[in-house]
Amino acid sequence: MSPAPSFLQQKLPLADLLDLKAFSEVCQSFAELYRVGLKVFDESGNKLVDVKVGNADFCGYIWTKAAGREQCVATVGRVKSEPVDELARPVAFQCFSGCRYVVQPVLHEGDSIGRVVFGPFVPDDLKELPATLTGIAPDFDATQAGAYLQKIRRVPQETAEKILKHFMDLVDVLVFTGHKSVIAARLHIEAVQESYRELEEKNRLLEESYQKLKALDRLKSNFIATMSHELRTPLTSVIGYSEMMLEGLGGTLSDEQREYLGIIMEKGESLLHLITSILDVSKIEAGRVRLVLGDVDVAQLLRDAAATVLPAARKKRVQVTCEPGTLPRLHADREKLRQCLINLASNAVKFTGTGGSVTIGAELLPGEKLALRISDTGIGIAPEHLTRIFDVFYQVDGSTTREYGGSGLGLAVVKSFVEAHGGEVKVTSTPGRGSTFGLLLPIRQRPEPALTPSLPLHPVAPA
Amino acid sequence: MVQINNDARELAIKVVYYGPALSGKTTNLQALYQKFSPEVRGRLMTLDTKDDRTLFFDMMPVFFKTEAGVKVKLRLFTVPGQVIHESTRRIVLQGTDAVIFVADSRRSEAAATLAYWNNMLKNLEANGLDYRTLPLVIQLNKRDLPDARSEEELGDLRKVIRPPMVPAVAVRGEGVAETLWALLSLTYRSLDRTMRLGERWKITEREFLARVFDHVDLKGTRLQGEAPPK
Repeated sequence: MSPAPSFLQQKLPLADLLDLKAFSEVCQSFAELYRVGLKVFDESGNKLVDVKVGNADFCGYIWTKAAGREQCVATVGRVKSEPVDELARPVAFQCFSGCRYVVQPVLHEGDSIGRVVFGPFVPDDLKELPATLTGIAPDFDATQAGAYLQKIRRVPQETAEKILKHFMDLVDVLVFTGHKSVIAARLHIEAVQESYRELEEKNRLLEESYQKLKALDRLKSNFIATMSHELRTPLTSVIGYSEMMLEGLGGTLSDEQREYLGIIMEKGESLLHLITSILDVSKIEAGRVRLVLGDVDVAQLLRDAAATVLPAARKKRVQVTCEPGTLPRLHADREKLRQCLINLASNAVKFTGTGGSVTIGAELLPGEKLALRISDTGIGIAPEHLTRIFDVFYQVDGSTTREYGGSGLGLAVVKSFVEAHGGEVKVTSTPGRGSTFGLLLPIRQRPEPALTPSLPLHPVAPA
Repeated sequence: MVQINNDARELAIKVVYYGPALSGKTTNLQALYQKFSPEVRGRLMTLDTKDDRTLFFDMMPVFFKTEAGVKVKLRLFTVPGQVIHESTRRIVLQGTDAVIFVADSRRSEAAATLAYWNNMLKNLEANGLDYRTLPLVIQLNKRDLPDARSEEELGDLRKVIRPPMVPAVAVRGEGVAETLWALLSLTYRSLDRTMRLGERWKITEREFLARVFDHVDLKGTRLQGEAPPK
């Protein structure tokens, strides 16, 4: 199969190359200027333009006679469709009435795509009405017809041909210009379509890689969820047995053994903490976190958080203040809230240098909202990092990881848990002066909260 | 792909002038326009929009009727040479029957010429055309410039390149008709092989060339006196 021919090779009908309305107006004024009628046909014989000048009465009179009508139709048919040579010169057509037409094909790239008919005019060599006309009916009124004939322009054929040639030059330019515009437009469209095809192809490739990434991401989440669960089980035994030994269930321990076991337990606990965070994140990513709602004494939670970080703070000589005051009870998931506060409080201690302070407090806000705040006088966070610190695994930079440790999961977990409660996390910070993290929580949960919204990553259907 | 209209007994053949920017493609067409007598060629159409150079090419139709009454139409196109017009180049090249590769003979242009040659092969392939069977002529243009490759170098080139090479100075109209002659001769043979032009359409190579070149001013060309009589 040969491909469809390019538009550059296509033949176009005359009507597509001209603006017919504007072209008709030009024909009209041209015909009026020379006082001779003008008709334009396309190659299939469709009339595109028809301007009559002066011949209405004469031809109308002939039409009143049956034989006149018949011969008129035949003449018009010849003028319109009788083949003429495909040459740029006029051909004369004689009408039985004594009038005459000159006809010239519209040539474009060697093809005839239509014809222009100039006339009828009265050739100046016509002395009297011919017998072919006067004989069409016994009651033919030659005087009347002669009077009507006066209204048609009398002109030598040579002049009519010159006028037609002039008009054909005009048509030639119009057709050429029209063809050029058509090609420009079509080429433009083709070029746009070409670019569109290229873009579509790129989109398809992008969509493919996106789907692959999505599948990979789902695999990763599942893997992490399974692995962290598997890691936790033996770790609980390590911690449990260490604890049992510390309690003397395995016999008396020397001070050194006790110290070593203490280290095993402490490191085991921090490992467990890390694994739990990873598990939390994977659950959040998989949209599998459920809130277990209950009445929570927030003041107590805040004090607990302060107490938890106190040993670490003392070691660094960081002062921890916790003055929650009286607070309403909150309808929330106690365990998750506790985790959030401990995460934020540990961060505050971690990033605050010796002699600094960490303040834990709360405030009732209008609209049944409670703000829990944890402020420090630590190193602070540069503005460009503020929007990203809640992303999973995001850390302000590699060197802080070494200096301060941590997995880059804490804040991501905090944000997800707080948002699961219908709340939000706010942070303000001045580098070198300290940071304040605020948890804005509604006091009463709406009854429907269930699954957490997802992390900044796209949601993944539960496996 | 040559377009055939059996009913109207018409053949439409597309010829494309391909080559780097400023190698002289448009100059070729302008020179031919001057040399052709108006009864066998149409106007030279130059699409050159000032603010959108993606729409850029030239086209000149050449047409004749054979003894056997077959109407033959040749459309000569140039493609835009500028690198950014890749898509227009592909569109213009679509379904071409023959290609004239206009190369700048200067040594300094050798690298650019080779890049365009490869670009053309790629685009021919993208259009499903096989350069090994496609009628193809290389015009070595700008032979008059000081840095032009020597005759010996061209001789070496001829040993490794299959398509015929025609030297030219298009800006002076030299070699332009010769290039087209060489290409049309190849084109005729290719069409005769695939469509039996001689047998089925009763067109001989001699007539095919004469119908075109009888109407070309061959004064001062190497074709003078060589044009076969009808």
